[in-house]
Amino acid sequence: MIDRHLTAVGSIMITAMTLFGPGALRAQTDPSAHQHMLPTTHLHTSMIDVRLPQVVLVREDRKKVQLVAELNDGRPVILNFIFTTCPGICPIMSHTFSHLQDLLHIESTKIHMVSISIDPEQDTPARLRDYATQFAARKQWQYYTGSVEASVAVQQAFGVYGGDKMRHDPVTFMRAAPNSSWIRIDGFGSAEQLAGEFTHLVDTAAASEVATASR
Amino acid sequence: MRTSLWVSWMSAGLLLAVGLSGLAADNNTGGGQDIFRLGTLLNGTALRGEREAGASVVGMAAACATCHRRSGLGSVEGHIAVPPIIGKYLLRPHATNISDPSLPHVMGYRSTREPYTEKTLARAIREGINPQGRSLNYLMPRYALDDANMASLLAYMTQLTSASVPGVTDEVLHFATIITPGVAPLQRQAMLDVMQHFIDDKNSFIRGGTRAMPANSREIQYRVSRRWQLHVWDLVGSADTWAKQLQAKLTAEPVFAVISGLGVGSWSPIHQFCEQAQLPCLFPNIDEPVVAEKDFYPVYFSRGVWLEADLMAARLVALQASAGITRLVQLYRHGDIGQHAAMALKRAALASGMTVENRVLEAPTQKQVLEKSLHKALTGVDQSTALVLWLRAADLSGLPPSVAPAGVVLVSGLMGGLEESPLPASWRAQALLTYPLDLPELRKVRMNFPLGWFRIHNIPVVAERVQVDTYVACGIVSEMLNDMLDSFVRDYLVERLESMLSHRLVNGYYPRLSLAAGQRFASKGGYLVRFTKPTGPQIVADTDWVVP
Repeated sequence: MIDRHLTAVGSIMITAMTLFGPGALRAQTDPSAHQHMLPTTHLHTSMIDVRLPQVVLVREDRKKVQLVAELNDGRPVILNFIFTTCPGICPIMSHTFSHLQDLLHIESTKIHMVSISIDPEQDTPARLRDYATQFAARKQWQYYTGSVEASVAVQQAFGVYGGDKMRHDPVTFMRAAPNSSWIRIDGFGSAEQLAGEFTHLVDTAAASEVATASR
Repeated sequence: MRTSLWVSWMSAGLLLAVGLSGLAADNNTGGGQDIFRLGTLLNGTALRGEREAGASVVGMAAACATCHRRSGLGSVEGHIAVPPIIGKYLLRPHATNISDPSLPHVMGYRSTREPYTEKTLARAIREGINPQGRSLNYLMPRYALDDANMASLLAYMTQLTSASVPGVTDEVLHFATIITPGVAPLQRQAMLDVMQHFIDDKNSFIRGGTRAMPANSREIQYRVSRRWQLHVWDLVGSADTWAKQLQAKLTAEPVFAVISGLGVGSWSPIHQFCEQAQLPCLFPNIDEPVVAEKDFYPVYFSRGVWLEADLMAARLVALQASAGITRLVQLYRHGDIGQHAAMALKRAALASGMTVENRVLEAPTQKQVLEKSLHKALTGVDQSTALVLWLRAADLSGLPPSVAPAGVVLVSGLMGGLEESPLPASWRAQALLTYPLDLPELRKVRMNFPLGWFRIHNIPVVAERVQVDTYVACGIVSEMLNDMLDSFVRDYLVERLESMLSHRLVNGYYPRLSLAAGQRFASKGGYLVRFTKPTGPQIVADTDWVVP
């Protein structure tokens, strides 16, 4: 089914304005405070082709796992990249994930939230467990570390490897099922926005399954 | 009172570095520092910032320094430039002259923004709006500070990083290196040779190779034309007097930073001095550093023997399950760096239910006495025992010819001399060495840079690891200073190290070096290795690179 995957079949600009009303949208952002910032309330969503590398990662419970097996266990996946000593971007994304798990009300068998460290040598399983506690991660949200090479391979597969942990941008990935495409969402999406995206993604996948079955 | 002063400063157009120094003496500055660095308000409660969509931050996560850094000079994360927030960048009217030497470029500074006033700054912090009325970046939280907290914070922010920096003159950048008593003269000279040649190279390049730039390119001129000067701080006497000696030396010879150092025992007094004196210290060669990653100024290449203890502990736990190892016997000398590492390993072994016996080797190093006492120290070692040797090369060479019948023999590679550790042949066949460095085969190409440089400069290689890692440390400081342009600020040097170190490819003995806020050991892992032949330095890894 990988053949069916399309590379960047299109991109949709979604604004907080259209989804959540004007209250969620701030005034113009200040160019003097940042140089190449993506407009914060604009999410850039695209469909991407990810060829998962055959790497072993170490979960926060210290278990060694195959990335492919972890992601292909049948559950829909929401994934991001973080590191525990990250000053600005990661805490926001982790906060969003934390809120997202509350919004989705889905039990752990129905969804898999995945955070992969981009500073794996520092982020030992013990440090990841502390970090997970800090953001009240529940059972369906798991953290992964491993060798530098493995982490880089995963970042490259998802097209987010910047050469260094400080060269990272806020990006979230999601996928409805092992055989469907990955959605890449650039920008600081709020938990509500991500929840909306996710629900839409899963509903669309379910609808297309029904359509296929009835054909 | 403060407002009127403020207005008069602004209208007078005085340099804020000078004009606001009055605020530094304000009683509120201490409180302002806690808000800025720790996210703690004047009444001791946690600072709280709100971002839209409910992404609030509390305490340390809300502190200004978390993103804008301790220096207030800002940083860059991904595509987001976090701007400088110290007085001279925020308040200076129309500071568009980029070659103004009092306003060196830092990433994230936009000279086109209108200057802030006390009022608009408070509005920016409370409401996230800049002087032109535009919203600040999503990353910037809004803080509902009351007037007292706001006044303290502003007083702190505006004077921050504006005092003149000791060790920096218009012509010279001063550095020190620290050597404790007991360091072998050969090692000392080996390290100083490298440093002095590095500095001579740098200085002669400036004098001979580069002409000063015209005045309007002053930023560039300053960047290349300050000479480096090295001060060698040799300590004497007992460790409890070192802090005083160091303080006296710093007063007599103010330096901008400390590059490298050598010691034979605990590095704790020097570590504490660096932290107290707020002096950036980059230590590539310290095998028993202080593990205190909340401290800011001392930075190490490696955790040294602490890392070795962790590598050993990981192996012991595995062997306990697979090979019936139930007992740990450790040998070390009192006062040497193995002693504290042995305590750390003991704790780990006890925690996993092993019995532990620490044996202190007290014999002098005369061959016969040493051999006898090592023989005695090894009695009772059997297959259920993990034998750990925290011994220097001189002691290792006194081991009996036949290896002790332990279930496993672990040797501190850093103490023993790595692949040159003089273990007797039968021990070599058995022993596992901790090797918290890159393997010789893997580091070979990277080592060509320093080794070639030594050859060109006719520097004899007599202590390769010390010399190579010192060379790397000098190179790192040099690169960081280039990157800082004219912002010679001590905190900023440490912050640049945190964010730039991992960009280097040439890291001497280490596969990679990397830091971040709250990380003070640049290399994080190591191998267990074994010898492949009865003689010679050939080793092979028994494990992957392990980060314990």
